Amino acid sequence: MASSEYIPCESVVQTLYRTHHNWLNSWLRGCLGNAADAADLAQDTFVRLLQKTERFELKTPRAFLRTIARGLVIDHWRREEIERAYLESIAHLPEGLAPSAEARALVLELLEEVAQLLEGLKPKVRKAFLLAQCDGLTYKQIAQQMGVSLRSVERYVAQALYHCYVLRYET
Amino acid sequence: MNNAVRPSPSPEAVKQAIHWSLRLRNNRANPKLRAQCADWREAHGDHELAWQRVQALQQELSGQLAAIPGAHAALENSAQGLGRRQALKVLSGVLLVGTAAWVSRDLTGWQRWTCDLATATGERRSVQLPDGTHLQLNTDSAVDLHFNPQQRLITLVRGEALVTCSAVRSTPLLVQTRHGLFEGIDGRFAVRQDSACTRLSVVSGNVAIHSPHGAKGLSTQVHAGESYLVRQTEAIPAAPLDMDIGAWADGLIVTRGMRLDAFLAEVGRYRHGYLGCSADIADLRLSGVFRLEDTDKLLAILPQTLPVQLRYRTRWWVSLDRSA
Repeated sequence: MASSEYIPCESVVQTLYRTHHNWLNSWLRGCLGNAADAADLAQDTFVRLLQKTERFELKTPRAFLRTIARGLVIDHWRREEIERAYLESIAHLPEGLAPSAEARALVLELLEEVAQLLEGLKPKVRKAFLLAQCDGLTYKQIAQQMGVSLRSVERYVAQALYHCYVLRYET
Repeated sequence: MNNAVRPSPSPEAVKQAIHWSLRLRNNRANPKLRAQCADWREAHGDHELAWQRVQALQQELSGQLAAIPGAHAALENSAQGLGRRQALKVLSGVLLVGTAAWVSRDLTGWQRWTCDLATATGERRSVQLPDGTHLQLNTDSAVDLHFNPQQRLITLVRGEALVTCSAVRSTPLLVQTRHGLFEGIDGRFAVRQDSACTRLSVVSGNVAIHSPHGAKGLSTQVHAGESYLVRQTEAIPAAPLDMDIGAWADGLIVTRGMRLDAFLAEVGRYRHGYLGCSADIADLRLSGVFRLEDTDKLLAILPQTLPVQLRYRTRWWVSLDRSA
């Protein structure tokens, strides 16, 4: 083979699909423990591949497919976790305040986006940030609640904002 | 201001912008701090850009999150849940980030982060454009500017703008929204874009509406005192509002017999979170001049004139109901 770099054109993806689809399917089933989700994500993996515009190495096609699929698995889990946690958190709301099904769908989408932004933050940083952004607490209140100094709260919130900024504007 | 590629502000500038933004948030009323921050913003183009982006980011995050009951718990618990699952089913020990990080991020709405001029919730800005046109942005608004010898185009990405333009020049002054194209001929006019339609209100002078579909090539002339609602397929005259157009530019809401629910919806544009009232008081009427500077203060005076009481569930969740 002259070069191992490919632009993901349809024929390349088709070849990958024919050769590795079954393998990917069973790898995903192992991760997810669920055949239907595994089939969906296997399909998505190849769709993502078609959307990619940069060249990629094909010396180790399975490792490459696994990288994409792994990301999709995380996305899938995140969505599940958010939905579970959100429904739990609104379960106690009085009837008049409970959001409609459409509102819930919109909220879930937004929360997913934010959750992605916050990934990789240390738990304390995330907590301080959420207390400030979601609950509108002052730094003093946050410091009291978390049992840390005012300076730490400031540092945490600033760190979290910087993290989000970099993800938004510089990736 | 054209579409030239702008270098990103340095990490240092971004960190300083965050620092200023957080300090001001905690000491909102401190005029000295505000002045220092303004000096810092003016000191360098990078500073201003970093500042604008940090504002937009914060606005986007807190503005939306604060309005969602349960958001905090959902984000906290799901992050823990996701962490546990990743730890349990370690996928070959590679750093686990979603595909978004490298495949799909470019599919999300980027334009809202990259506007030429933007205001955060509660903020207003006033700018003199290169041709002498005066542009004022209301709360939570953003525009892109395309000014060169061939065109003078303001794209209103979101929110509301008040434009004051003078005399005819060789190139028309255009304001574009999702719903239509407006040409400022002279005078002063407000363009407010909501999700369903754009409202044009002419304070003085004349504006032409060039609606791409509905008008079939014809344009509608709008004169001082008139308002139009423009959707993709139509431009129809609108009943006069029960509040003064553009009073916000002076930091005021001026109402005449405005319904309470409409008034709260209006005030809600200037603050984060939820603001609403129970159905049985929604049609109480309100007339007066209200200062926008501090909407908590503004709300606090309502029980003095109306039979209502305020309930703060959190700082960002305020509801009004009938006083006992």
